[in-house]
Amino acid sequence: METRPETVSIFRTQENDPVKTFNEGCVMVRQPALELISHLKRADYINPTLRYLLYGVKGSGKTMSLCHAVHYCSTQGWLVLHIPDAHLWVKNCKELLPSSYHASRFDQPIQASNWLRNFRTTNEHFLSKIKLRQRYVWTKRESTEEGRPLGELVDMGVSRVKSSSDVVGAVLKELRLQAGGTEGGFRLAVAVDGVNGLWGRTTLKKEDKSPVAPEELTLVHNLRKMINNDWCGGAVIATLSQTGSLYAPSSAYLPQELLGEEGFDSMDPFIPVPVSLYSEKEFESCYLYYLDRHWLQHPHSQTEEGKKELIFLSNRNPSVLERLCAFL
Amino acid sequence: MIRVLLVRWSRYNPYYLEPEPRKEVYHIPETELTPEQKEERELKSVRPIKAATNSVTSSVFNDPVLSKFVNMMMKDGDKIIAKGIITQTLENMKRKQVEKYHKAPEVKKAEIECNPYVIFHQALENCKPVIGLASIQKGGKFYQVPIPLTDNRRRFLAMKWMITECRDNKHRRTLMYEKLSQELLAAFSKEGNVVKRKHELHKMAESNRAYAHYRWW
Repeated sequence: METRPETVSIFRTQENDPVKTFNEGCVMVRQPALELISHLKRADYINPTLRYLLYGVKGSGKTMSLCHAVHYCSTQGWLVLHIPDAHLWVKNCKELLPSSYHASRFDQPIQASNWLRNFRTTNEHFLSKIKLRQRYVWTKRESTEEGRPLGELVDMGVSRVKSSSDVVGAVLKELRLQAGGTEGGFRLAVAVDGVNGLWGRTTLKKEDKSPVAPEELTLVHNLRKMINNDWCGGAVIATLSQTGSLYAPSSAYLPQELLGEEGFDSMDPFIPVPVSLYSEKEFESCYLYYLDRHWLQHPHSQTEEGKKELIFLSNRNPSVLERLCAFL
Repeated sequence: MIRVLLVRWSRYNPYYLEPEPRKEVYHIPETELTPEQKEERELKSVRPIKAATNSVTSSVFNDPVLSKFVNMMMKDGDKIIAKGIITQTLENMKRKQVEKYHKAPEVKKAEIECNPYVIFHQALENCKPVIGLASIQKGGKFYQVPIPLTDNRRRFLAMKWMITECRDNKHRRTLMYEKLSQELLAAFSKEGNVVKRKHELHKMAESNRAYAHYRWW
């Protein structure tokens, strides 16, 4: 399995990496991921893109199912556009530059350049194959000509941090145009985690302390265009997330509540994929995996009574079980 | 923070009996009870019982030594933070040991101890002093006299030294759980500052053994 830097950083922090601790990386194959993969296998890519939305309670395994599906896509040779967390683009941004391309929009150079760097590492072999179909002018002296490889555009975005958000927009536009094409056609998978951050409110403020709406951010504006189903030759897989979301109650997990009216109307029609808590068999397999890897060390946790207590305390919630077994 | 009306530390009438949190006691069938246990059960069905403390559970994972350590770590009554630090410490220790275990060759695997509870208890044992010093006044001067220590006192001293060591001698940027896990792992293998302090106390007691007869109890 190739190491994907941004999927690993989804698990809490880099220091508590289970891949490093157990000296191996394992993913549990679960029902939602299998459903997604079977849909991806049987869909025909001539019609406009299908949008899949993973929803469920906090900690039930939506991000892991997304990563599993993304891994399947990359083994099939698709081009993967993975945004680890859309909420990071609408909050805690230190630098907001007014956009050069469009007067009323704002750029986020740090987030855009980070994303371009990750994009470069995940899709190495596509960068030289895809050629640009349009000429892009950045400043009076710099421009990228038609027919140049995509890799050059991405490198330029990483090095020239000021125009990186516009580079992201250009990359997305190119990929959208070329995804369903017959000559050299590749399939495009757009995987967005925390898609409910693209609609709703942001915590960013303009210089006169008035709030910034998400439409006024270039990155969000371009990403919304990708999620619209007016292009063909790929799939959009999205996850709802309450954990990073702004101004949403902690008990909300349904699409209607988290996306809001605007978001639901833009995402509609989509294929909802519910992600539930562990079933009995899944809990068994997780428990046996921890036992096998010597992770459950407390002598009582290896007995029947301890197992019943773990089921009771965690209610079969994957993330709660992980945090419980961490110190047991 | 949730505020609970504490009844447990108020003065109960001596008529009230202590609660029994362990589950095994209630699972013994009627026939296997000894006469004392039958008497005790009849007494409990008549007399009122005190409320149980918040820290005592009937869970199999309950550990009284660990609860005592958490209470000593606690500041301003914030048990949540103290318990959080201890759980992070246990997790950290387990992670380090399991990583070492998986990377070690087959021969060395049996020697590596992965259970954080075993490590914690063994480290505490290694830090407990055998003999202590008391300041006794004789003829106008105070002498440091070696005295025997009770079990509770020894456990208290070991925990106190561990906590003060981790609070004082760490770099500004290291977190408490990180430093605690390092100290506990060092104490487990009988290295580190806490066992050094224990050895120094033993040496002082040895050097002052001439004054041992000043002790009258």
